Order: sequence, then C-alpha cells, then structure tokens
Amino acid sequence: MIATASAPRNVVLPLVLGLSLVMGACSEQAPSRYDQVQQETSQKGSTAVAKEAVNGSKFNRYFPKSGGGYSVVPAQEKKGFAEHKLNRGGKNVAVLSISDTISTPTAATKYQQSKKKVAGYPAVEQGSTITGVLVGDRFQVKAQSRDASFTPQDRTAWIQKFDLNGLSTLK
Amino acid sequence: MSKPIFEIVDELPKGGLTVSALHTLDFAIPGQWNNLVGFDNTIRAVTGETDESLIQQIGERAVALYNDKSQGYQRALWLYETVESGSGLLGTAALANRIGQDTFLGFLKNITPKPEKAQSIDLCVKLVTELVAFCQINGIPGDSIGDFLAALGDYSGESLMRMAALACFDGVIPLGPEFAGKALSAFDSTSPKELEGNQTYKSVQELIPGNGADAKKGFITQSFDSAKSWMTNFVSSNNITQQGLMGRLKGFIDFTDDKADYLGALLDMNVKYYRHTGVQTLARRLVERAVAEI
Repeated sequence: MIATASAPRNVVLPLVLGLSLVMGACSEQAPSRYDQVQQETSQKGSTAVAKEAVNGSKFNRYFPKSGGGYSVVPAQEKKGFAEHKLNRGGKNVAVLSISDTISTPTAATKYQQSKKKVAGYPAVEQGSTITGVLVGDRFQVKAQSRDASFTPQDRTAWIQKFDLNGLSTLK
Repeated sequence: MSKPIFEIVDELPKGGLTVSALHTLDFAIPGQWNNLVGFDNTIRAVTGETDESLIQQIGERAVALYNDKSQGYQRALWLYETVESGSGLLGTAALANRIGQDTFLGFLKNITPKPEKAQSIDLCVKLVTELVAFCQINGIPGDSIGDFLAALGDYSGESLMRMAALACFDGVIPLGPEFAGKALSAFDSTSPKELEGNQTYKSVQELIPGNGADAKKGFITQSFDSAKSWMTNFVSSNNITQQGLMGRLKGFIDFTDDKADYLGALLDMNVKYYRHTGVQTLARRLVERAVAEI
C-alpha cells in the first residue's frame, strides 16, 4: 500500500499512524483510584507539607535509644516527619515515627473519638500493624510492626519509650 | 504535569532485559530483591496492611507527597532517570528483536565499546548520583558523604541491588576486578573540561554539589574514594569475577567471548537498572512516610 501511494500520502500516512498510536496509548490508561487526589495535588501551588511544620531534625532527640538487643537506626528526616527503624539481630522488626499533623489535620481528628490512652495521651490502633498516639494535640507518634514477632504490646511499650512529655512542649 | 507516581510504579516491568540482568546478581545478595512492582502492591508489601480503605489513605498521602516538588522526590526520580539516559544509543526493542537471531552479531558491529576513561567517569558519576538521590529521598543535606556511607552499610532490598549492579555492570564488566582503583585514577586524570564533555556528567551535573566543574569533580572524587572500599569488599567477598558475571548473563544474552568487550556497552544501553530500582526505592520511602503521617 505504501509503495503504491502518491508522494504526499507517503508523508501523511506515518503522521496519521503516529497520531493514532499516541491517542491510543492515552486512552488505554485505565481509571485509577488515585485520579482524584492526583488531580487535586498536582495543581500549581498545591503543597503536601505545611510551611509551619517542624523540621524532622528537631524530632530526633525524642526517639527512644537503642537497647535490650534492639538498635534504633535513623532512616528519614523530612519537613514535618522523622522515621527511625527498629532492628533486632540485623533484621527490621518495626518502624518508629513522629509526624507533625499541622500538614494532615485529619490524622489528628481520628484521636478525638478514642477512649484509649497510652502514657496519658490519646491512642489509636490503625489497621493491624499500627499503634499511634497524639502528643500535645499536634505530634503523631507511631510504632508499626514490620515483623509478626513484634506484637501490639511491643508497639505500646516502644511508644512509651519516646520522650512524649518533651515532645509535647515542642513548638 | 509530570506523570503520576502510581502510574510510574504500576508500569515497572515484571520481566525483560533489566529485570533478567538484575536477577543474575541474586547469587551475591540472595533473597534481597524480589522485583516489587505496582503501587498498591508496594503499599501492601511495605506496610503489611490489607484493609482497602487504609491502602487508599496511604496511597493518597503518598501521591500528594510526591506531587509536592519541595519534598525532593521528583528530583530524585529525575536523577535516577537522567543518569542512565545519557548513554543509550538504540532502544531496547531494537536489541530485543535481535537477540538469538543471526543478525545479533551484525548488530554488535554497530556498537563501539566505551573507552576506559568514559566508562570510569560513568561509574563515578553514577555513584555520586546515588548519594545525591539518597539525600533527596531521605532528607539529609546534599553533601553528607558520611551519612551516605553509614547508610550504605545498612542498604537492603532494591537499594542494595542497585549498588550491586553498579559495582558489577558498570564496574567489574567494563573495567575488570580492579575497577574501583582504575576508575578513581582515570577519573582523577580527567580535566574539568573533559568532564564537561562527558554525556553522563552533563546530564546530572546541575545537582552535584560544588560550584563549577572543578569543585564538582572534587566532590565526586571524594565520594567515590569513600565508597570504594564498600564496592571492593562487596566484589571480593562474593567472589565476583568478570568471567563469572558473563557466564550468568549468557543465560539470556547471546554473545561470544570475543565480543565480551561489547557487553558493557550493550548493558549500558539496554539495562536501565538505576531507574527501575530507583523507582522502587522512591515508592517504598513514600509509602513509609505516608503510612506514618495519615
């Protein structure tokens, strides 16, 4: 077909083919459960982290120290967030974190309905691996199991090892 | 608008040249890398959670964090993508079509192996790219060689695989067992002007710490020198040799020993392991942060 086509069609055909390929590729993208959040957060000027959020480096001093066969290893330190890994025998068994809910107000709201308390602070269980407390109505402290051997009781015990009272005074 | 992170992670290939090439290194780091692909799969694997509404919340927060440019995640992905794109001459499809066919050796004739110096610069620049991307992702100041080195000892999963592939595919295969020393001395003898002419360096130089090519070169040298012993130990403790690696690659790339010189160039063009494992690292860190913040 191409061999018998006139010269202008030789130019046009690949163009049309190319265009239809591009359009085909676009329409193939299935809708995603994240389309709406993608739309909302990719607008110009949209931010995920509040300007007033405390720098992650300021959280480090409130984390528990290594001990009792566990090592606490710093992993991430971003604005409004710090994460330390909890390892035992070289294996990661849990993750400890502090985050500033000034960027995520709904994260703080879930503690309002909670009757549970840990070290005097409102506490929640999320999913099957996460225990959290809200300190000073602002800072969320979480312990997450990464190994089945790390039980909900372990999570509560490790949350109590944080300097929660110190953290509650952080501005 | 940049491509959504969930699409990038969903589109990571389950197989193909990059994945097959990386799996040839499983022997050195057994059980460390399982080619985790798919955004929701990553959330499930990282958190161990199965509740769909919780997965939705984690995913939404991860998408938002990625889209906030000030958080550095997009820059990290750009680094992983860009450092590899400089050297590609022909597409993966072109190669894949020829593997196992008579024309494959004919195809090889069209590839010129990179000179040792260019190969050395590639290796050094790629290592520094890892350091800078690591700092972007984990929120550590961009010139923290010490923090990076401490973390390197604790690397696991896809990050460890990326470093293993760097040492093997960009080190041992093109430069031999003494690759680290060779690369460092070749890089040292590179003038700032030569460096500026190197495609790999050019592609990422704007994010390398230092004012001007001379200072950037100093930073790269210092970083590579610091990570040298990690790479050398990795290679020697796992008995990794050029012959051994080539033997494993022969399982899926058809080449004869007299064409071994070309293997480095071939891998360079078609195995995009920095981007592949870089996206996996990025997705993991985003999910870790998202689940902590919701």
